[in-house]
Amino acid sequence: MLRARWWKILSVILLIYTCTYGFLVKVPKLDDRLQESIRNFFFHVPMWFGMMILLFVSLVYAIKYLRAANPIHDVYSMAYASVGLLFGFLGIITGAFWANYQWGSPWVGDPKQNGAAIALLIYFAYFVLRGSLIDTEKRARLSAVYNIFSFFMLFPTLWILPRLTESLHPGGQGSDGNPGLNGKDMSANMRTVFYPAVIGWTLLGVWISTLHIRVQLLKLKKDGLL
Amino acid sequence: MFQLLQTKVVENSSIMVQQGKIYIVMSVVTIILVGLFIYVATVDKKISTLENNAKD
Repeated sequence: MLRARWWKILSVILLIYTCTYGFLVKVPKLDDRLQESIRNFFFHVPMWFGMMILLFVSLVYAIKYLRAANPIHDVYSMAYASVGLLFGFLGIITGAFWANYQWGSPWVGDPKQNGAAIALLIYFAYFVLRGSLIDTEKRARLSAVYNIFSFFMLFPTLWILPRLTESLHPGGQGSDGNPGLNGKDMSANMRTVFYPAVIGWTLLGVWISTLHIRVQLLKLKKDGLL
Repeated sequence: MFQLLQTKVVENSSIMVQQGKIYIVMSVVTIILVGLFIYVATVDKKISTLENNAKD
């Protein structure tokens, strides 16, 4: 699986499709507030989808580690968490950039923005925790436990709290959809790019994660720990 | 000189300058993406070589 090729090629195809057809597809004009910038949907939103998926995979490997204490699972968990966090970071940067033109300021204190920042900070602590422990077994066990905590903190910060107050994002109080997007409201044209984009960006994240994993496994083998 | 180049009216009707020059942005993004993919694929290959060496 780590070295299989088909899904890497799929990622290349889907992302080239996203980055070409994403600029050409007809998008709704509505009241002209978003204009062409709605195309950011094919780039900004898949970062968050990708982050959720990668962090979920990281969680699965954290639980696996706790069940079997296999150091390989710790390597997997750590690699997916770091690329997931990278995606979240890119999501917050692109969001701030878009907000600067759309909402008038890069940080408007939107509940979704604040929640995402808190969620990312909680995940940063995962790496602080890892960096502060020398004993490899203890590091793997503690960070697996913390990983589970930080994954479930994504739910209040990203999925629940932003729904309870008014938000500039979709899905706030009194508006349809979930905090990421309003699926029913997306035009059929945009859907033909958006979902391939989500798969493509996520696969790219998985690809980069597997590179991390393979390097770490080589290192462990070299040190005779595997 | 540069200002002259910037304001130069492009008097061709090639596909690149139609529809608000969006094709130019599309091409730039595609070039970056392809460059990134080539880079990631190269790293992937290098790691494969290391793995094969480690096996021997």
